[in-house]
Amino acid sequence: MNLFRSEEHIARWLGGRKPGATMSVTKLSELAQAWWDDRLSPDWAPHTRDQNMAILERLGLTGDFWELA
Amino acid sequence: MHVDEADLGLRRRTYAFFVEHGRAPLAAELGDPDEVLAGWRRLHAEHAVVLNPATDELRMLNPFSVVPTAYRVQAGGRWWYGNCAWDAFGICAALQTDGRVETSCPDCGEPLAVAVRDGRPEDESLLFHCLVPAGHWWDDIVFS
Repeated sequence: MNLFRSEEHIARWLGGRKPGATMSVTKLSELAQAWWDDRLSPDWAPHTRDQNMAILERLGLTGDFWELA
Repeated sequence: MHVDEADLGLRRRTYAFFVEHGRAPLAAELGDPDEVLAGWRRLHAEHAVVLNPATDELRMLNPFSVVPTAYRVQAGGRWWYGNCAWDAFGICAALQTDGRVETSCPDCGEPLAVAVRDGRPEDESLLFHCLVPAGHWWDDIVFS
């Protein structure tokens, strides 16, 4: 899960590997906020799979690639 | 997934120690070492902390990395390490503060740095690539 300067850098880094998912760093930051912002809360409890899937879906991260185990 | 109240308390104390001291606690610093280690193992099984399987030492307190990584984050007056780009931004989110993420492009090695203000990156030109599908992240969370 890495940051890159451009699509060209991603393609070169992948070589022959199958690409995963690419998003803007702005979307990544939104995802990080939604996923991690409660992590130091005294009331934190493990997210359920449904909670995490809801975060992904809210951000438009859907499809087989984003299907959590 | 179920973590009981005692283990949630251990997790809270573990994270609080890490944020206060900037390093992971040893088991003995949180109580009876055997009990703490047993609790960490249960939390590891529930993906609430990540242990180094070879040493039983803490490896990740997601989004924080206990060990140095390619993702350095300046936030809250201290430098931290994220496990990946996602976690690096997650550190600012978890600390609920602005920050700065520094790394290098895995392709060319060029330094990359981005400030985070109010949850948004100031340089919006960078891209994030996630190689491993979500269903396989925990097959090898260190690689993911």
